[in-house]
Amino acid sequence: MSDEMLAVFIGSTLRLAMPLLIAATGELVSEKAGVLNMSVEGMMLTGAFAGAIGSWATGNAMLGLAIGLVAVIPVALLQAFLSVTLRANQIVTGIGINILVLGATTTAYRAILGRHSRTPIPGLDRWSPPGLGDIPIYGEAIFRQTWLLYAALVVIAIVAWVLRHTAIGLAVRAAGTEPRAVDKSGLSVTRVRYGAVLFTGFMSALAGCFLSIGDIHTFTDGMTNGAGYLALAAVIFGNWRIGRTVLASLFFGAATALQFQLPATGVNVPTALLIMLPYLMALIAVGGLVGRQTAPPYLTQAYVR
Amino acid sequence: MSTGAAAIASAAPLPAGRRGPPALLISALAVLFAIGCGMALVLAMGVRIGDAVAAFAEGAWGSPYAIAASINRALALGLVGLGFVLAQRANLTNVGGEGQIALGGIAATAVSLYGGAASLPAPWSFVLPMLAAAVAGGAWGGIAGVLKVKAGTNEVISTLLLSFIAVWMVYGAVQSEALLRQPMTTTASLPESSEIPDATKLPPLSADADTPLHVGLPIALALAAVVAVVLGKTVFGVRLRAIGLNPVAARRAGMRIGPAIVWVLFLAGALGGLAGAFMLQGDQGSLKARFSSGYGFDGLVVGLLARGSVPGVVASAVLFGFLRSGGINMELAAKVPSALVLVIQGLIILTLAGAAFWIDRRKEPAR
Repeated sequence: MSDEMLAVFIGSTLRLAMPLLIAATGELVSEKAGVLNMSVEGMMLTGAFAGAIGSWATGNAMLGLAIGLVAVIPVALLQAFLSVTLRANQIVTGIGINILVLGATTTAYRAILGRHSRTPIPGLDRWSPPGLGDIPIYGEAIFRQTWLLYAALVVIAIVAWVLRHTAIGLAVRAAGTEPRAVDKSGLSVTRVRYGAVLFTGFMSALAGCFLSIGDIHTFTDGMTNGAGYLALAAVIFGNWRIGRTVLASLFFGAATALQFQLPATGVNVPTALLIMLPYLMALIAVGGLVGRQTAPPYLTQAYVR
Repeated sequence: MSTGAAAIASAAPLPAGRRGPPALLISALAVLFAIGCGMALVLAMGVRIGDAVAAFAEGAWGSPYAIAASINRALALGLVGLGFVLAQRANLTNVGGEGQIALGGIAATAVSLYGGAASLPAPWSFVLPMLAAAVAGGAWGGIAGVLKVKAGTNEVISTLLLSFIAVWMVYGAVQSEALLRQPMTTTASLPESSEIPDATKLPPLSADADTPLHVGLPIALALAAVVAVVLGKTVFGVRLRAIGLNPVAARRAGMRIGPAIVWVLFLAGALGGLAGAFMLQGDQGSLKARFSSGYGFDGLVVGLLARGSVPGVVASAVLFGFLRSGGINMELAAKVPSALVLVIQGLIILTLAGAAFWIDRRKEPAR
């Protein structure tokens, strides 16, 4: 593999892993709090759609990003209301939301953009850390990325710190480990979980915006195409730890990047195998073949006072 | 993830004595609410409601052909739904229909094209691929069962992951000539399998080519009856219910829970695999990359709507079969995106899942 190809590979791995990384970090927070959001896929799609439409309508990608983040609020609240307040099956509601959002965004996109569907959509600016972008061969391909990528890395670092070192982080972790204790200490489990689901919503929408206005500057029907499920798989494969989840997302990103790179190098690996690899790895992980899985004990368990 | 099973209680079947009008009424209301929302959306999009309804009716039941096509859709959905209800009785949520259909499609295609099924005498030529599909789908479901028993893996996660793997297996199989791709005679040969021989296709019920009803209809109805009997009248059915209601008590009572879990997920998967065989041998004729095309998830909804009852599966399968056909024609004739049907489906799932709160509260003892 030549230097140029290696550079492109690393760059596209980062770019393809990023949506997974952002969404998986968001999902990790609410799984820590005991809520499984199958609806990450739908929330990402909501963000991707609203971000693209907002960006197109206002002509400003930043406003589009803001609109994407606002648009996910009702979706996240719906998930929280159903799974926390009504104690409905978290998996079933998540799948329901995904189907609903897929239908709604496809319908709305046709209705709103119909004739203009090929109009270019303003996207987020690119940026590279001073100096790094000028490295020969590697700089341009690896570091010249949407600024959202760098912003998201900062957010993920903050999330890791908050989860580990702050009272909020403790409350979130306790809501998924020992909700009764949270309740006894005077905090509301319901509020903590609503907050966690909303946070997952925001992160998923950010991931969706990364796809639509960060990466390819357009929206297509169902463009998340299973990325939300991959983010869930990354959390499982990451064994509910943030560091390992980040690594899993990067690995899944690399597997996706290989699909595009391998044919160019003449290596003959079936594309289908590379696409299914992340799911296969997640299955092996949940099957207990790579060490014990330690999910939050109250994951998917509704809390009844 | 071992704690997940208990959380799925809201999707668990109600005890026999308490099922009945209220739950059914709530299901019906949820469907009506969702369809009402769909109508409102059609209006909001500026389509005349009369046009949309006419196009829907035309596509769903406007001709003998349309009716038969809707029923054929319902067959595949109903089989997946039956599998869902069967596993649900043991408090297992099988969301792997999509993958089980895909595996069934692969097996049926392989046996039809290369397994020598076409040269067998009449019933066996199309029965053998169906059996192969059932076994393949069953194995796919059974993996989830084994993982559940051996490693405590939540079957929802495993069946979902297995689905994604299976969907891409279909994609891989039709990309490679060494597997199921048709011989590339020209550069224009599509990445799909060859057409299966006529002898392996499901024979039509009547000689009239206008009604594509096939032998799958009586087979599916017979299977529905068998599942109803198994659940209601057999020791296996009672055992499943006991495991579903209280696995600890069932174990204390001397039941071997592990094998029952593996078996019931195998059977659920077999029904999904059979649905794949129906889609291939009764309708599509060749294996394509997007073979399962969402039928597994639709079948899951059918199973959910049924709230644990076999007649409920039949009713909701028919409902969704017609809904899909009508939705497709609505897009063609009235320019209403068929994605609207997805909206309605999503709303049905969510209203039902939410409504379970009120249904389950009725049967909870006062605290």
